[in-house]
Amino acid sequence: MQTTTQDTPAFIKVRGLKKSYSETIQVLKGLDLDMYPGDRIVVIGPSGGGKSTLLRCVMGLENIDEGTIEVDGKPYIKGQGRTEKNAIDHTIQKQVGMVFQHYTLFPHLTILQNLTLAPVKSRGIPRSQAEEKARGLLKRLGLADKADAQPSQLSGGQKQRVAIARALMLSPELMLFDEVTSALDPELVNEVESVMMQLADQHMPMMIVTHDMWFAKNIATRVVFCAGGVVVEDGTPEQIFSNPKEQRTRDFLEKILHTENAA
Amino acid sequence: MSYDIDFFYTLKGIDTLMEGLLVTLQLSLTSIVIGVSLGFVVALMVMSPSKLLSWPATSFIEIFRCTPALIQIVWIFYCVPMLFNVFLDPIVMGVLALSLNLIAFNAEAYRAAIQAIPKAQLDASVALGLNKIQTNVYVVLPQAIRLALPVLVTNGISIFQQSALVAIVAIEDLMYMGKMLSTETYRPIETFTVVALIYFAIALPAMYISSQLEKRLKVA
Ligand SMILES: Nc1ncnc2c1ncn2[C@@H]1O[C@H](COP(=O)(O)OP(=O)(O)O)[C@@H](O)[C@H]1O
Ligand SMILES: [Mg+2]
Repeated sequence: MQTTTQDTPAFIKVRGLKKSYSETIQVLKGLDLDMYPGDRIVVIGPSGGGKSTLLRCVMGLENIDEGTIEVDGKPYIKGQGRTEKNAIDHTIQKQVGMVFQHYTLFPHLTILQNLTLAPVKSRGIPRSQAEEKARGLLKRLGLADKADAQPSQLSGGQKQRVAIARALMLSPELMLFDEVTSALDPELVNEVESVMMQLADQHMPMMIVTHDMWFAKNIATRVVFCAGGVVVEDGTPEQIFSNPKEQRTRDFLEKILHTENAA
Repeated sequence: MSYDIDFFYTLKGIDTLMEGLLVTLQLSLTSIVIGVSLGFVVALMVMSPSKLLSWPATSFIEIFRCTPALIQIVWIFYCVPMLFNVFLDPIVMGVLALSLNLIAFNAEAYRAAIQAIPKAQLDASVALGLNKIQTNVYVVLPQAIRLALPVLVTNGISIFQQSALVAIVAIEDLMYMGKMLSTETYRPIETFTVVALIYFAIALPAMYISSQLEKRLKVA
């Protein structure tokens, strides 16, 4: 199932990842995944298949039951049983950034303050330096005039671009995107996706969950089909979209492409 | 009606009423300060994952929200000294009774405010590397205070009015002094009208300020 050569060491190595939300709700059932340097992984799969959970585990937002996640060969998260706390390396966690489906800008802060809060309060970066970086980023994302606006004054697309900028403030080594355009009106999807394409051009390692198959084809170096809490199939975009090996992948793509054409 | 309205004696006794008002303000303001601060602490206890903290806090809130304030005052005034063999200054007892009531209502306001903050913001805070304390101080608290403020003000005004109940246990507040004056002067209509107007003159502007505040905060 591995598509990249085994001799390059993996950047992210997920092994035997199990996650349940209660004794009865087991979501990830021993998931394995390797992400190599230069990879941009798009995770696709049916709703409820565990895509969000996978990303949340990599972000360190969920306590995993079993399994390990390594980054650059170093242990990052290790499950120690469902009711026991994970062993987690917070230094590595700080190198991971995430953008969510729902708007998560802090509504009581201006756009600029949203961007500088974490760098100033948690990383100890001088405020003036953080503000300069923030203004630079906002400018790059076409939001220069929004620095002093309140989040409520922004469109959904602008909010998500700010959320991306806020994550980039911390210079992450890996960016996670969980359906960041799903809550947007169709005409706003493009402005967010093009910012993500910009990041791709700058070789930002990314793990993306999306239902936009056209976007997936364009941005991914690898596509991972995740269903029932495991990786069912994993390959290049061409391979997965034109010639899927697994029946479940084929069924899923048929269904989703069919509804997309119908819509 | 054989009763001639005459405000002369009531207005002559206005000093007595002002003395009572002072006690009323003292009772209310002290209770408000206690209620606003300890209410937040109790809210945090209620939301704590530890049952040892949440259970007593929740029971406290339910008891004080679900019994009449009058019973609370009378109970604390007569039962606390008998049960614990402590005899406190009546004003202190009054503050105790009113504060406990207000803490319960304010804790509920804070709890609702904290719960109204979308959980996704807490996930985002973790993703941004903020620790628990930083998240509470910079993300949760500023929003919780804003969201709860109109209710806190309303609760404060309400405790100012409820404070009239302490007259029943002979604390010499505005209500008590009014009752006394009306008996002395045989002028209940005039006296209780003036007393009502004094409560009204303080509560109305406070109410107005609170609704302005609410409008302001909604925009922000
Ligand atoms: N916090 C939670 N508590 C309980 N069940 C959850 C929680 N989050 C997700 N689930 C369940 O886990 C399953 C996988 O969810 P998710 O990872 O969000 O899937 P996907 O993103 O692929 O749609 C779903 O059945 C969902 O209902
Ligand atoms: Mg999801």
